[in-house]
Amino acid sequence: MTASPPVGVACRDAEVASWLADWLSGMRLEPPVPLALDVHIVENLPADDDPREPFLQPLVEIRSGAPLDDVRIRWRAGEARATIAPGARTALVELTRDALRDRDRLTQTFLTATLVFLLRRAGWHHVHAAVARDPRGRDWLFAGDAESGKSTTAALLATRGWAVGSDDLTFLAQNGNGVTALAQRSPIALRPGGYALLGLAGGAAARGGRKSAFFPEELGGSWAGQVTPQILALPRVEGSLTRLEPVRPREALAELVRWSAWVALEPALAQEHLDLLAALARQARCYRLFLGPDLFGGRDVLMELMP
Amino acid sequence: MTVRYARHPDLRLTALDSEGIVLHLGTRRYYSVSESGLDLLQALAQPRTHQELVAVLTAKYDVSAEQASAAARDFLEHGRRSGMLTVEDAT
Repeated sequence: MTASPPVGVACRDAEVASWLADWLSGMRLEPPVPLALDVHIVENLPADDDPREPFLQPLVEIRSGAPLDDVRIRWRAGEARATIAPGARTALVELTRDALRDRDRLTQTFLTATLVFLLRRAGWHHVHAAVARDPRGRDWLFAGDAESGKSTTAALLATRGWAVGSDDLTFLAQNGNGVTALAQRSPIALRPGGYALLGLAGGAAARGGRKSAFFPEELGGSWAGQVTPQILALPRVEGSLTRLEPVRPREALAELVRWSAWVALEPALAQEHLDLLAALARQARCYRLFLGPDLFGGRDVLMELMP
Repeated sequence: MTVRYARHPDLRLTALDSEGIVLHLGTRRYYSVSESGLDLLQALAQPRTHQELVAVLTAKYDVSAEQASAAARDFLEHGRRSGMLTVEDAT
């Protein structure tokens, strides 16, 4: 256990506090301002009388904006909810003992969503993206949805010796005149198709056994916790040959907005989030990346395409 | 009757290469806008009449008043239909 996690935890239940501190420390996220989870174990949760239309994410519903102006996150797989008051840097989290029985899903969905909103208060804004540093030291960001091939690509690049950060949960932050991408430390989770394409064996069971997970070091690469994206790739699995096609920054920005749906939540922070996405599209060279089966041959195709 | 148009308070916009992306927080839809569209949306931070928007366009672009008027009208119609603009009758 780490005594002082980067995001603090307060909970009267020492075992739960220790577990959450370990979870937070394992992510290796170090926001520039103190943030905290104030966790309460409750018997049950009353029904919400929140009039706002929920924004639905896997197993999570999120309400934000007027008229209450706070953020409320409710878990749909069990009894857990979080409330973050406007401008607050602490999330009030209420969990039942029953919810704590399914800790993997609780962290992967509900608590991760809560953390995403908390980190916004530190100027860190979420984007669905993998990040990596190639052998020439250039930083890449691969932004796309769950089916775009980010995780398989990230795992493949690790086998080619690239430094790889997150395969999906990434945060953007303003750093001087540039945009930095900060990766959550977590194993790359592969579906059976990606696992087979890479010819991998072993790995840790993830997502209830539906995926196999590897840290980049286990694949021959290293971890890149923070990169300054110079190349923005928008991947999709399409065609027989892998190729990069330049896109205009405005098109890239539209795609980034599309894959960062949370940008539209919380009016007070939406402009900052949108401006960060625009700064990223301005800073990086932007490409559509069509992923073909040749990617899995013996060559480092991306290095050949971007010599 | 004087009709004034304004940017919907749920809009957020950001410029990129003179063009822009507009995000509507209420509908969670986003739109790409041209350079002139971005100029009009920036002007619409305050309520404006159609004629005032024509002046915005003729001041920046080499277009006739008729061309600017038609462009502004098209923009206002699209903006009104998509919920990007609010309309007030200040008669």
